[in-house]
Amino acid sequence: MNSSSLLTPSSSSSPHLQSPATFDHDDFLHQIFSSTPWPSSVLDDAPPPTSDCAAVTGFHHHDADSRNQITMIPLSHNHHNDALFNGFSTGSLPFHLPQGSGGQTQSQATASTTTGGTTVQPQTKPKVRARRGQATDPHSIAERLRRERIAERMKSLQELVPNGNKTDKASMLDEIIDYVKFLQLQVKVLSMSRLGGAASVSSQISEDAGGSHENTSSSGEAKMTEHQVAKLMEEDMGSAMQYLQGKGLCLMPISLATTISTATCPSRNPFVKDTGVPLSPNLSTTTVANGNGSSLVTVKDAPSVSKP
Amino acid sequence: MASADKLINTDVPEKDVFALHFLRSLSNLRTQNPLNSPDKSIDRVRKIKKAAYVSMARAAGGNSRLWSRALLRRAAKDDNKSVRFSRRKRKVTWKISSKRRRSNQRAPVVEEAAERLRNLVPGGGGMETSKLMEETAHYIKCLSMQVKVMQCLVDGLSQK
Repeated sequence: MNSSSLLTPSSSSSPHLQSPATFDHDDFLHQIFSSTPWPSSVLDDAPPPTSDCAAVTGFHHHDADSRNQITMIPLSHNHHNDALFNGFSTGSLPFHLPQGSGGQTQSQATASTTTGGTTVQPQTKPKVRARRGQATDPHSIAERLRRERIAERMKSLQELVPNGNKTDKASMLDEIIDYVKFLQLQVKVLSMSRLGGAASVSSQISEDAGGSHENTSSSGEAKMTEHQVAKLMEEDMGSAMQYLQGKGLCLMPISLATTISTATCPSRNPFVKDTGVPLSPNLSTTTVANGNGSSLVTVKDAPSVSKP
Repeated sequence: MASADKLINTDVPEKDVFALHFLRSLSNLRTQNPLNSPDKSIDRVRKIKKAAYVSMARAAGGNSRLWSRALLRRAAKDDNKSVRFSRRKRKVTWKISSKRRRSNQRAPVVEEAAERLRNLVPGGGGMETSKLMEETAHYIKCLSMQVKVMQCLVDGLSQK
């Protein structure tokens, strides 16, 4: 490349290019003409000697991709009055980079421009070398790329989902799906609770009463209790709570109940109600949408009754 | 939330954006149906839920995600409104047609899970698996943000 040829005069000459008188002129002219392109502004500013100008315009359209880092800074004319010197002063422009001037930096700069030129090449498609025993069939390569893509997306999903420490792909996917379902359920529940209307509560209870029928043993009693609680809740939460406590029941958020139920019996029975709350055999739960806060669950567990 | 992947951009706006959209939609609902509401409460539940989803889709950047676009289109269809979608630039809609033929060869474990995801995530029906998972990640982030906002609202309003 011409960069190497540019280096030689700079190393031999004085570090500062403001005094081009130390250059070997002919050599210098050669360097200039064979290397960097001269933008038209340079030609306009400096009234160059005619011969030089003709040669320079020929080099106007160099390949600019590796040289786009060089910007021409027209020197002020008070530097050199001599016509020939003007040609040289503007000729020294290629070596004046915006970062710094001087011969030392110039060599580095030109080297860096060439390296910069190589790095700004368009990113070619990564060629995948086939491993031993695998065909270089484009289909299988595409297949492998696709699988890698899916794997990296799954990794990013793994960080989002709690309990994402499963190494098995299948269980991780199940976890993701369950988490999405859980979030959608949360939105639904929260939107229910925002109503603050007692009517919603009672209707919700009546819906769930039908659902919980199949799951609880003492179905009739549960239904009665639920209606009673619903009626009480319309008036006053406190009395409802007292009524429940009298029966040996307690109210708790659904999330807590699910955690408890999963903790007490790890092998969950697939007893899923309409609202998606899994039940364990010895706990009978009723989901109630409360106007005040999050959904509440009344839990009746015969052996362990929680004391207030 | 810092997203670690540089290739896939799954950033969601801050909580306030979601809160703003949601509150606006709620106030719209309120002006539509004054408190002496003729409809049953179940309809109110559904309306609020739909408002939550639509506001979430809008907050997440209306058209920039496939799931949000599908959600908004679905909601508009229910209301018989016409939705105006800006002409998105023809980005890569993963080639379904060419790959569907050989879809059986793709890891069946992943594919059946992808099928379930497609039912859950709005707009998932026409997506390739890799795109689907990207959408799922963004969807999960937005959903969790929306849940946080709604929870804060409920907590704030339920103080006695």
